[in-house]
Amino acid sequence: MSYQIISIAGLLYIIAMPLYIIYLLTKKDKIGYSATAALCIGILIHLFGFIQRFKEMYDINHSIIRSIPITNLYESLVFFVLCLVIGYLILEWKYGKKGFGVIVSIIAGIAIGLTELLGITKEVQPLVPALKSNWLLAHVTLSFISYAAFAISFVAGLFHILMISENRKSFKYILSTTILALMFFLILSVIIDMATRANQNSLKIFHSTLGNSSPFVVILSWSALIAFIFVFWRWGEVIVRIFTEFKIDANLLEDITYKGIAFGFPLFTIGGLVFGAIWADQAWGRYWGWDPKETWSLITWFVYAFYLHAKFIRGWSGAKTSIIAVVGFLVTIFTYLGVNLFLSGLHSYGSM
Amino acid sequence: MEKLKLENLNEKIWNFFASVDLAVALFIVISIAAAIGTVIPQQLEPEATIRFFSKFLSMDTSLKIHDIVSLLDLNNVYHSWWFTFLLFMFALNLIVCSIDRLPNLLKSYKLLPQALSMKVLESMPLKRQLILSDVSNLKEKVSETLERKGFYVIFFETPEGIQLHAKKWSKTRLAVYLTHFSILVILAGALLGTFFGFRGHMNIVEGTALDFIISDEGKTIPLDFQILCEKFEVEYYENSAVPKAFRSYLKILEKDKPMMINGKETVILEVNEPFSYKGFNFYQASYGFQPTEHAEFRFTFFHDNNKKIPINVKFEEKVRIPNSSVLFSVIDFSPALGIDEEGRLFNMTTDMINPAVLVEFEAQGKKTQQWILKKIPQTWETPYGKLRFDELWGAQFTGLQVRKDPGVPLIYFGSILLCIGLFVSLFLRPMNYFVIIDKNKVIFYSPTLKGKVTIEKELNEIIKKLKGEEK
Repeated sequence: MSYQIISIAGLLYIIAMPLYIIYLLTKKDKIGYSATAALCIGILIHLFGFIQRFKEMYDINHSIIRSIPITNLYESLVFFVLCLVIGYLILEWKYGKKGFGVIVSIIAGIAIGLTELLGITKEVQPLVPALKSNWLLAHVTLSFISYAAFAISFVAGLFHILMISENRKSFKYILSTTILALMFFLILSVIIDMATRANQNSLKIFHSTLGNSSPFVVILSWSALIAFIFVFWRWGEVIVRIFTEFKIDANLLEDITYKGIAFGFPLFTIGGLVFGAIWADQAWGRYWGWDPKETWSLITWFVYAFYLHAKFIRGWSGAKTSIIAVVGFLVTIFTYLGVNLFLSGLHSYGSM
Repeated sequence: MEKLKLENLNEKIWNFFASVDLAVALFIVISIAAAIGTVIPQQLEPEATIRFFSKFLSMDTSLKIHDIVSLLDLNNVYHSWWFTFLLFMFALNLIVCSIDRLPNLLKSYKLLPQALSMKVLESMPLKRQLILSDVSNLKEKVSETLERKGFYVIFFETPEGIQLHAKKWSKTRLAVYLTHFSILVILAGALLGTFFGFRGHMNIVEGTALDFIISDEGKTIPLDFQILCEKFEVEYYENSAVPKAFRSYLKILEKDKPMMINGKETVILEVNEPFSYKGFNFYQASYGFQPTEHAEFRFTFFHDNNKKIPINVKFEEKVRIPNSSVLFSVIDFSPALGIDEEGRLFNMTTDMINPAVLVEFEAQGKKTQQWILKKIPQTWETPYGKLRFDELWGAQFTGLQVRKDPGVPLIYFGSILLCIGLFVSLFLRPMNYFVIIDKNKVIFYSPTLKGKVTIEKELNEIIKKLKGEEK
């Protein structure tokens, strides 16, 4: 089955994370290459799985355009990871820097982990009539490519904030180290959740840590989380030092933050908002209806419009703009996952 | 004095509406307002709001909150006066900002370029200097290298040497205004739709015609034509309750005469494939079960020599099976017949997933009963011949979404402009270099640090080329 193949790719992405960390700490080129190799092999397996899934869907739908596997939450998460890792590998190849491979592999790992832990179906499902449209391909692929671009700008923006913060008391420093700590905790929790699962049905996010039935484990997990935040806060400069040693400077990070948004924003506008509106117009008879998904897409759009105006008209630079980029991606995540999990609306194909 | 004050005030108001601060403030305020609308239920009935808040708060507090919510229209955010006001401010901001800035930009294109003083050049944030040993044709070499990179180059003779201006994509600054204009077009389209358009729905039962629409506000809107639903059908995936497709076979009747649409009398309406007539757009939206007087069960009887004879009967109506004395009638119907764990029959839903009829035969005073399932051929065999159950016609309605919106062409036009504007302004950013060539010394200046990494990269390439040609 295609999802088993994709799980193997997910495993490789998770393996890439410690490899990148070891590389950054030891500076041994061989380990750096093996980390990149893990991602590259992961992508090849992922693409193979993607094609397998396409074939499985084609057997049901008999239409090439409508068999691209991007029709439910599982497939979209997987497609997001595919775009993210490919985007990162292009960046690594272009700039020759492996600095934030760690965080990219963490995001990829969390996304693949969520497909296991949210209890969503991984089976190939037949298309419901509303999704039978050629706009599906254009709308969904462009949206997720832009999400991946926003993710890369988030990673670069986060490190940019950390790089230029003056001391441990500054808001920038606390913000960036806390988010990094939360991401490390989340990926570890996801890994432990998957490693300790008794059976498929008992799977739930945080079931082995913050949401465990034993109060002891819960207290331990919370303490671990706080310890993570403290450790990142206390030794955050180590990251700055390592980045400096690898000649990743604040300017480069700011530039990548901007490029991610400059690339993602037009794609999001055309694919997410415009194509979405056209499709809604054809399927539901209205181009805009303040559905939660539509509304949150507009909010995402406003946040990134804010970024561009602050940068180009107001002449903001440095931490202020990068914080907007970080907030922008958090809003993007809510638009993508939060709306499906917490709010109801017409985009229910993406729910569980 | 008075006049001066007034002018001063005017200017202040103008600058306020032209400012990017207002734009940024509106981004934030509109976002927060829109977000509130996705959390608080957007329903006008007080119960909805109270039920929502009583999930987290006590009943008393919820009732009090409801008062605030309805006072501020928080249960109808997107159509409230203050949200409309915010959007109006947004539009005004866009208009004033463009009027404020665009003429200056256009003027700057018309200005004849002039040599800059060293003082201006030295104040630019980026400077790179290189010394070359070969000074022959240096001016040509530099300009050729820049021109090959797509720059437009002009020269000035100055006391400090030759001053060279290189420009690329300077007109793309206009794309920002195209983007802003496109948003205004979209807002205008939305406005047009709000005032001159409407949305509504029609539920037409199979075999009947309707000549009015129920609007979303609950008003009845008469049509000067009728829509007849001849047939409605739902297709399901094999062994599944997931609908594969659903479609209506419609006819437009003008004075009881069917009209030709695209050369055909019958229009087949499906999800994602709307059709329009007289400015109204019709969308296949939903369906439902609604048995009526005129509903009839449609069977096909297979005669000995495999001749197919259609038989249509009403509920409990007794009909003779062809060439026999046997009477049969439908005494029960199930749209979705299922069998539970104990082998009992039950009906799953009102969707026609597995339609089945209980038929009673009457032969020489003896009565027998049998379930005939549309999807299971084995059940078509009866003691009196093969009887296939085809469908129950006239027991479902098709739900059509109807819309009339003269603003849609503007929305599409605005969207296209928006895409073009964004792509040009973000992918083709204007580039400017100023170069001083003084004997064997070449100095590059860049007036901006936007995209510093890219600029430095390009400068490095140019310098490498100049040096490379030297060797």
